[in-house]
Amino acid sequence: MMQSGLTLRSIVSLRSKHAVIHEPGSNAVSTCPIDGDGRLSGSSAMTQPSVSPAIEVKGVGKVFATDAAGDAPVLGAIDLAVSDCEFVVLLGRSGCGKTTLLNIVAGLESASSGEVRVAGQRVTGPGGGKGMVFQQNALFPWLTAARNVMFAAEMRGVRRQEAQALSADLLRLVGLEGVGSKYPAELSGGMQQRVAIARALALDPQILLMDEPFGALDELTRNEMQDELLRVWQARRKTVMFVTHSIWEALMLADRIVVLAPRPGRIVLEQTITEPRPRARSAPSLIALHEAIWQALQVS
Amino acid sequence: MARATRDRLTNVVMPLAVLALFLILWEYAVAAGWLRRLLFPPPSRLFSSALELAQVGVPVGKTLLDHTAVTLARILSGFAFAMLLAIPLGLLIGSRPFLFHATQPIVGFCRSVATLSLLPLALVWFGIGEASKIFLIGYGCFWVMLSNVIAAVRLVDPVLLRAARTMDTPASRVFSHVVLPAALPRIAAGARIALGVGFMVIVGAEMIGTVTGLGALIMEARTFYRTDITMVGMFAIAILGISLSGVLTQVERRLMPWIAHEPAGGS
Repeated sequence: MMQSGLTLRSIVSLRSKHAVIHEPGSNAVSTCPIDGDGRLSGSSAMTQPSVSPAIEVKGVGKVFATDAAGDAPVLGAIDLAVSDCEFVVLLGRSGCGKTTLLNIVAGLESASSGEVRVAGQRVTGPGGGKGMVFQQNALFPWLTAARNVMFAAEMRGVRRQEAQALSADLLRLVGLEGVGSKYPAELSGGMQQRVAIARALALDPQILLMDEPFGALDELTRNEMQDELLRVWQARRKTVMFVTHSIWEALMLADRIVVLAPRPGRIVLEQTITEPRPRARSAPSLIALHEAIWQALQVS
Repeated sequence: MARATRDRLTNVVMPLAVLALFLILWEYAVAAGWLRRLLFPPPSRLFSSALELAQVGVPVGKTLLDHTAVTLARILSGFAFAMLLAIPLGLLIGSRPFLFHATQPIVGFCRSVATLSLLPLALVWFGIGEASKIFLIGYGCFWVMLSNVIAAVRLVDPVLLRAARTMDTPASRVFSHVVLPAALPRIAAGARIALGVGFMVIVGAEMIGTVTGLGALIMEARTFYRTDITMVGMFAIAILGISLSGVLTQVERRLMPWIAHEPAGGS
């Protein structure tokens, strides 16, 4: 298992047996653990507790204003810590509050109780290094792909020429070299989401929040996009919080899967995935996990 | 190749053929006595009337081109006034929920007033000259445009605004760089509808107190039982409408180059 991982994609497949070097003094969130070769190492689920987590959700609850008095809250009191460069997937059925939780972390919605900290800083609103990829159609239709990416860079004060170069780099990174001059409507759904990922990366975010970004894509494109996302994530290590209702998507992507149940939204299972990447759907450990997660989802 | 030829056949040749067939049938129906010549002058007669109108004019000296120019000037002035007022006001009202709710009844009411029912009032207020006609066109265009601009701003996809917020876009830039371009297609559609309203209003407005303009021409011809001239005037209005609509399409293409690529075909 290890060998195949090492030969194919060396970086991420370095798993827990390899020591994660962590400089004691550095707690900057965007600095990911780096191994001896100066490469980023994979598992971060075991990052030392002394460093403040990349994302810290403490007792977050949410009640919608429209809820009746007797209704269970959308979110109970969620506690969750995500470490640097960890890829966490929030998994659950519709209405379990996973998107609400993501929006609260993004600062797009406020929590009714509890608080969220990103890199130790309390979240009070959107922006400030929290990149977001929405389900679909969140690109600006009046801007070309390249301009969409540039928009994000310019908003954080990057000068136009640099933004242009950055945009070209990021589009190349997501496999869209040469389509910068096209408008979103000229691109397929998968390509649009690649642009959306490039745009989020152009913010140079500390964390990347993804709200069912591949939910509207057909299954084959979706699988391709999962591979692409992992490739991009390996190139630009970010802490990722990813929402989906697909168990397989979670199994293919996650360092850790957080399973949520609805009303009140609560965590019913946290599962660390040790299967090295790239993962095969036929891997026995994943099939076993699929069953366990399926069982956990029945609980609700 | 074969496909392109077939497309051209269906898109260009067929409509022209149908039009030609219609004109021939019309001509024949009059010649055969199925239609009365006085009530339904045949195309050949309309053609000679159009020539007469273009050269001599009705009343003498006022050619078809003169009438068209007068009508065009009235429509454009009224339309321009309406745009200049409705666009900024609509952007303001649309982006402030308080203003929207406060103004909704007025906008709904004024928009529902049939513009031509204001004709007597307009004559009292502005006299019988140009001002009353431009006022009526402006009135009709303004309320339609205003409600469309308001709707355009309010219907901006919230996910675009959320995306802008996650990118730390300052409020001033959210308006100019997100709300405005996102609302533009609906604003343009509103302008198109407003222009259509302008055309409906102008003919009525020109039927009273003037001898120039296509509306006046149509009205004058009626008193002399010149159905042919009425029809020529109608066609002139239609051609004017189609031309202005074409101009609008060009402006839209310039302003919104991304629309052409959208699956629904835009606007």
